[in-house]
Amino acid sequence: MANLVTSPVPALAENGLAHVFGVRHLSPNGAWHLRQFLDQVQPEVVLIEGLDDADELIPDITRPDSNPPIAILAYTDCVPVRTLVYPFARYSPEYQALKWADENHAKASFIDLPSDVFLALQESSLQNSSQVAADEELADPLVDAEEGADSLNEEKEDSNEIDSGDQILSPPSRASVYSEIAKLSGELDYDTYWERNFEHNSASESYRLGALELGAGLRDLEDSRGMNIAENLVREAYMRRRIQEVISSGVPPEKIVVIVGAFHAPVLTTDEPAMTDEELASLVRLPSKLTLMPYSYFKLSSQSGYGAGNEAPHYFELMWEALQNDDLDSLAPQFVTRVTRELRKHGTYRSTAAVIEGVRLSRTLSALKNGLAPTLRDLQDATISLIGLGERSVVAESLARVEVGTAIGKLPDGISQTSIQEDFQRELKSLKLTKYRTAVKTDLSLDLRENRQVKSAAAAFLDLRRSAFLHRLHLLQIEFAKPVAIKQASATWAEAWTLQWSPEAEISLVESVLLGETVELAAGFKFKTEIEACHTVDEAAKLVRLACQCDMMASMELARRRLQELATENSEFVAVAQAASELSMIVRFGDVRNYDGRPLIPLIQDLFVQGAMALHATAGCDNASAKNVFIAMDLLNKVGQEHHEEVDESLWHEKLRILSDADDRNPLISGYACAILLESNLINNEELAKEVSRRLSPGISADLGAGWFEGVSARNRYALLARQPLWEQLSDYVNSLDEEQFRRALVFLRRAFGGFSAAEKRNICENLGESWGANADEASEMIEQPLTEDEQQSLSELNDFDFDDF
Amino acid sequence: MAKKKAATSTKTKDESKVLRQPAEVMFAEEIDALIKADKFDRPSGWKMSPRSVLTYICGGKCGSMDIQPKYIGHQRLVEIAISTLITDRALLLIGEPGTAKSWLSEHLTAAINGDSSKVVQGTAGTTEEQIRYTWNYAMLIAKGPSNEALIKSPIFRAMEEGSIARFEEITRCASEVQDAMISLLSEKRISVPELEKEVPAEKGFSLIATANTRDRGVNDMSAALTRRFNIVVLPSPNEIETEIDIVSTRVREMASNLELQSELPSQDSIEKVVTIFRELRLGQTLDGKNKVKTPSGVLSTAEAISLLTNSMALAGNFGTSVVADADLAAGLQGAVVKNEEKDSIVWAEYLKNVMKKRGAAWRPLFDACQEHNG
Repeated sequence: MANLVTSPVPALAENGLAHVFGVRHLSPNGAWHLRQFLDQVQPEVVLIEGLDDADELIPDITRPDSNPPIAILAYTDCVPVRTLVYPFARYSPEYQALKWADENHAKASFIDLPSDVFLALQESSLQNSSQVAADEELADPLVDAEEGADSLNEEKEDSNEIDSGDQILSPPSRASVYSEIAKLSGELDYDTYWERNFEHNSASESYRLGALELGAGLRDLEDSRGMNIAENLVREAYMRRRIQEVISSGVPPEKIVVIVGAFHAPVLTTDEPAMTDEELASLVRLPSKLTLMPYSYFKLSSQSGYGAGNEAPHYFELMWEALQNDDLDSLAPQFVTRVTRELRKHGTYRSTAAVIEGVRLSRTLSALKNGLAPTLRDLQDATISLIGLGERSVVAESLARVEVGTAIGKLPDGISQTSIQEDFQRELKSLKLTKYRTAVKTDLSLDLRENRQVKSAAAAFLDLRRSAFLHRLHLLQIEFAKPVAIKQASATWAEAWTLQWSPEAEISLVESVLLGETVELAAGFKFKTEIEACHTVDEAAKLVRLACQCDMMASMELARRRLQELATENSEFVAVAQAASELSMIVRFGDVRNYDGRPLIPLIQDLFVQGAMALHATAGCDNASAKNVFIAMDLLNKVGQEHHEEVDESLWHEKLRILSDADDRNPLISGYACAILLESNLINNEELAKEVSRRLSPGISADLGAGWFEGVSARNRYALLARQPLWEQLSDYVNSLDEEQFRRALVFLRRAFGGFSAAEKRNICENLGESWGANADEASEMIEQPLTEDEQQSLSELNDFDFDDF
Repeated sequence: MAKKKAATSTKTKDESKVLRQPAEVMFAEEIDALIKADKFDRPSGWKMSPRSVLTYICGGKCGSMDIQPKYIGHQRLVEIAISTLITDRALLLIGEPGTAKSWLSEHLTAAINGDSSKVVQGTAGTTEEQIRYTWNYAMLIAKGPSNEALIKSPIFRAMEEGSIARFEEITRCASEVQDAMISLLSEKRISVPELEKEVPAEKGFSLIATANTRDRGVNDMSAALTRRFNIVVLPSPNEIETEIDIVSTRVREMASNLELQSELPSQDSIEKVVTIFRELRLGQTLDGKNKVKTPSGVLSTAEAISLLTNSMALAGNFGTSVVADADLAAGLQGAVVKNEEKDSIVWAEYLKNVMKKRGAAWRPLFDACQEHNG
């Protein structure tokens, strides 16, 4: 950018401590303006708002083989782990400042509070954060459009800005001031307001002076609302102290450039006092450690759950590149084209003409607000309208790819000692697992029940906690612990694992830091992605169980919701029944894991109703899938019995009865439904007799009767054998048949009873004998007699029996 | 060209007797005030600047005058719609029935041109002549083709004047009729071969079409035609309060219009009906905790209104003249269960899994619905 050095070196402000450049964290135009500014001023020292004790990391940040996005991670080395993440993208002004200093042999240094003080402050600021949230309601919702337009040129009046590095420390309540300002200027949200007013203007000094005014405006606004946050004042006093230290070390003030969040820029002057030694000594500190970690654009975007205010990292990287090429106008066509190309890759064609119209619409939308160029919001809306044909869902995925991107930062080997590794060590120690961290395979068996022989609760449930920890590692695919299957009938308190440490495990552990700073947080995040990716009811039910095993109650709730959602979308009977049964198991055996399953009961109720409603439709399946349906019916029936107080069992029985009476469903399943009802004593003998005779009446297709009978007998034959009237009915029926009909009936009766064992057949004989007045022996002798030759003959003729005659 | 005659004849009639005034007459005061106070550039052919149009539609202040909001809730969509019309592109408003598509298109044209009457109503019987031009046949036979014998369609006239025409329910028209629009929109000129002339559109000409999501697949718009539109999808009301407001107001109006012999349904029943409609329409409970299946019907706000007025008619003529839960249940059954087999399962699941758990306040309605769904 040597060609830009022609403009005069900006003068130091009258009361200035040094040159101050206010920025927004992750602002491409800020980075661009900053580099120009640095080129003009040629400072000897560059001071950056950032953890004071992180100076030693600067050489690693600027190394050519370090690839942003990366982050400085500060964490307490004791539980509960508090962390601070300070991410850099390529287009972060702070990162570019470090790069500039490196290239121009200037000294770079961080000047914000050191991490130990920050982490101690974090605790208290979290507690104070919930107060101001209601303020937004007070803002006048009806703002005249013209007024909104005017205020675009007066951002000083109503502006405020995120201070740069400390998004984690800014309590969420302050967001309400931002959205209020966005509203006042007629923008939909603060990000759009910022982008429209700050990111598109390349006039020299516009950014720095604008941000300075913005910061002052914000401070006035907060003053007027009594929302001054003590933490900010402490930080600013400390920063002034640090600047003065640098000046007294002999660097002239005009050779220092200070880069801070716009919010802090106005007060880094000689008018305000610097922190004294006593004040510094009085600050509370928490022992802390610092490291660099690779970061990802996904994590940087708000989609990952961080409020860190950069919704569209990849989009801003495109903007940074466009700024580098001095071609910001190309950003809009780039954006729409890229989205369209993504869409085409996935098989949806949109023409170049549509892209052109999209760019045009985005420019008109921006012109409507007096903007210089379309903002991300304008581009999104234009893309949805033209490329998505009005539907957001069509382009949502392509938009995310272009906005968020998939970039993952890279650090050279050995630089990162992350908090998750520390956390892992600590957990191992507290769970007395350290000795298992060897390359030798070791078995570990756990008894999850309370150990009543020890004193503390922590020791009593040691194995339970170990189990949760190992399950979490397993979920994170850290190859340290492998579960070994063991069989335990009707109890779930034993678990077996094989433990073995390997370098691969170390690597996957370090990689997991991208998911979260501790094992628990990482597991929670991983779990969330798995839930989002899961598409069937039984998978979701398994995840619910997994959350229970990992002792992650928040995730459990997520999984429960997902399960409920999926169950509604697709009430596939077998899956729903399996899910209901899985949940029922968790509720019944949850207490071994100290888990209260009651919150799951409403879901079991829902699933039970859905299962009952879906039964009839499912029963239309073929014989091959009937077996699965049998199993599912059993499961659901068992759930009904286990939770008969909670679930609507009568609905289930009603649906079973309808199914049992139905002629248009698979007769096997109809029969099976009847068998379940028989077992629960919900069909009396008379009804049963009626149904048998109906099923077996002449003129009815063989399958309907035989299949039904097969279904009935597939369940509990003893319940069947104990029903004398059934056999009487059967016998009467056989007697009533004429020769031809008998031949036919014989075929399917033989099929129905084919699966009965000899003992069961004998029982049938007894039943029949009773009704014929003969004793059992006579009857069975009659039946078990070898067949005569004639009879053999007629039986084999039956093999060619042609049912078409009927 | 009945539309044309209707439009001109309203002007001659005594205005107080007209059943429904067009928007530009109803809100003439507001439009005048906005035009007077306007200090921004106007695109050619427009009566006011885009910003003033936005104020007119979404409400706000104009000097000391309060501008009533005409379309509530989705200001961004209105911004997109207006921006589209600035760029000489045609605008297509898509939405479920009853999402104020025609309402918005009427007010847009009223504000932009002060004339919302250039309308083509798309039906299965719309012919190509109705969107281009036709002839006064007596004159045509007597004198041959001449300018006097030419009857211009609303779109033709809009092109001549450089104003905006409206095409309602474009997807109801047969594809060949829709296709006639393609050349009009891309060439921006209409040719009359009989008179050997071509009429180019003046600056300011554009088209606002509306289409119904539920008609998808009936006469789907061709890709070539879709390409010529910027598409804005109008959603159902965002907030339940807004929807309850709309429903109560409209029910009150209709009850007095139709002289129904019944008391107005209580606020409580309106809330319940709107809640049920929203939950089934959105496929989840209001608190977002449970998903529910959606039935095949639309369940629009408009349908909730007609359900409630129906229940009033039921109660007034055959009941106690107070809208009881049984009256509502009958209506709900009819509204939700459009397809016997599928929807009745959806409805039964909703009743059991959602409504039953709502406690005592919902109990009577639940019982009544349960009985109806047998």
